[in-house]
Amino acid sequence: MIFRSADMKNGPAVEYGEPVIEIAGVYKSFGNNHVLKDFNLTINRGENVVVLGKSGCGKSVLIKCIIGLLSYDAGSIKVFGNEISQLPIAELDELRARIGFVFQSSALYDSMTVRENLEFPLRRHGKHKSKSEVQGLVEETLKDVGLLDAINLMPSELSGGMRKRIGLARSLILHPEIMLYDEPTTGLDPITSGEIINLMLNVQKKYNTTSITISHDMHCAKITGNRLAIIVNGTNYSDGTFEELSIIDDPQTHPFFE
Amino acid sequence: MNNSPNIEPDKEVPELKEGFFDLLPKGLIEFLNEAGEIARFAGKFFKQVLRPPYEFKEVLKQAFEIGYRSLSLVSITSFIIGLVLTLQSRPTLVEFGAEAWLPSMVGISIIRELGPVVIALICAGKIGSSIGAELGSMKVTEQIDAMEVSGTNPFKYIVVTRILSTTLTIPILIIIGDAVALYGSYLAVNIRGSVSFTLFFKQVFDSLEFSDVVPAFIKTFFFGFAIGLIGCYKGYNSKKGTEGVGRSANSAVVIGSLLVFIIDLIAVQITEFFGFL
Repeated sequence: MIFRSADMKNGPAVEYGEPVIEIAGVYKSFGNNHVLKDFNLTINRGENVVVLGKSGCGKSVLIKCIIGLLSYDAGSIKVFGNEISQLPIAELDELRARIGFVFQSSALYDSMTVRENLEFPLRRHGKHKSKSEVQGLVEETLKDVGLLDAINLMPSELSGGMRKRIGLARSLILHPEIMLYDEPTTGLDPITSGEIINLMLNVQKKYNTTSITISHDMHCAKITGNRLAIIVNGTNYSDGTFEELSIIDDPQTHPFFE
Repeated sequence: MNNSPNIEPDKEVPELKEGFFDLLPKGLIEFLNEAGEIARFAGKFFKQVLRPPYEFKEVLKQAFEIGYRSLSLVSITSFIIGLVLTLQSRPTLVEFGAEAWLPSMVGISIIRELGPVVIALICAGKIGSSIGAELGSMKVTEQIDAMEVSGTNPFKYIVVTRILSTTLTIPILIIIGDAVALYGSYLAVNIRGSVSFTLFFKQVFDSLEFSDVVPAFIKTFFFGFAIGLIGCYKGYNSKKGTEGVGRSANSAVVIGSLLVFIIDLIAVQITEFFGFL
């Protein structure tokens, strides 16, 4: 059974903007391991979609395909109407400047301070800003994640939660329209996890972002997602709001809500 | 006109013959595969190195990290090599009454062969392993992916800059190491005898010819290139998490050291071939 939110007519309709991410019939394999098989998902402006699924089912692969870190074997991924696989590298870089990516491991550059980590995307995306403008942006973004005091620290001096927040700050510095979160609360204690979830909500509110969050954390999914998509056997098996999916009596969907 | 395929049902289908590569030992095939991948990686370096943007600042930063931070190790080991080589050679030369040849012999040995090869091996150990481990760790912690997302070509920013830095810095380290080794030799000569600083170095440089210095200097660039290339190749292609980082560092040292000897062997053959140079 494949459930779509359109199947349920009794909920209040929420209006979103135009589609910003359109994934149609995407296939991706690693050797004989077929990770994504005819995967379809459309995300409209202002939507915050949480993608759920078992470990190794292709959730992270999906968002890496969206941002062009991985190529897909077949199908189409359009972001802001641009087919990702056909973009020349310069245009892909321009598109990436409109997308923030929060890595599962935070991926902070070990050899740079927090300040340099945040300055890096500003310098590399060719945003020609004066030194004071750059400094202002870095400080403002660090204030947003509550870590202005850590500006001169090295990543090795930060805790796991702080690293996640700095990773989030680095992806926010270019004021992206789309945020891709790869397991933002994995490996964190419940308190720090709650802080990260609050930050994500603040980001949605302040920057008015559209987002895809990859997660196992149902608490995070319930709070941050307007819509959930569950990957089973490489396909978008169930797609709907938390409330809609939680009442479905389906052996593939139900275990996520137990 | 008959368009049907030409099927001959009675004809025996010949058994598939083993291909040439199927007959080769598995280890040899893996070695050839690895060599091919390294060659492809080197090709990518040459393709990218000429294309803008040029990361001069990062090249300088890496040259400082690679060169300056290796200087003390290179100096100490070179000093000991010069000292020990002189102390060990002296009794034999004394036996033949050729003690006066000591500065010349040590000078030629160090400049032509010992200095470049031993210092390159030290650099393969220190610099090769450090690049392999650093890039391996960047790979498994998704820092390389983060760079790409930030609008940066990670191959150019990480690999090209490091290979350029080792290619330019290791020859300088070898020159400094040679000088320190000769100074160590001068001190060793003066333990048992008395030779002035000027006379010692005059004897060293009088015995050196163009064919001693130039080929020895040129091959140091190849040593530097090989050490940087292997360190980057192993780190950039690191797999299997933290275990892979250790393996990358280890194999960067092993293959880098092996390449130093192979390049040295080739350099000697070329020098012999163009013996007049």
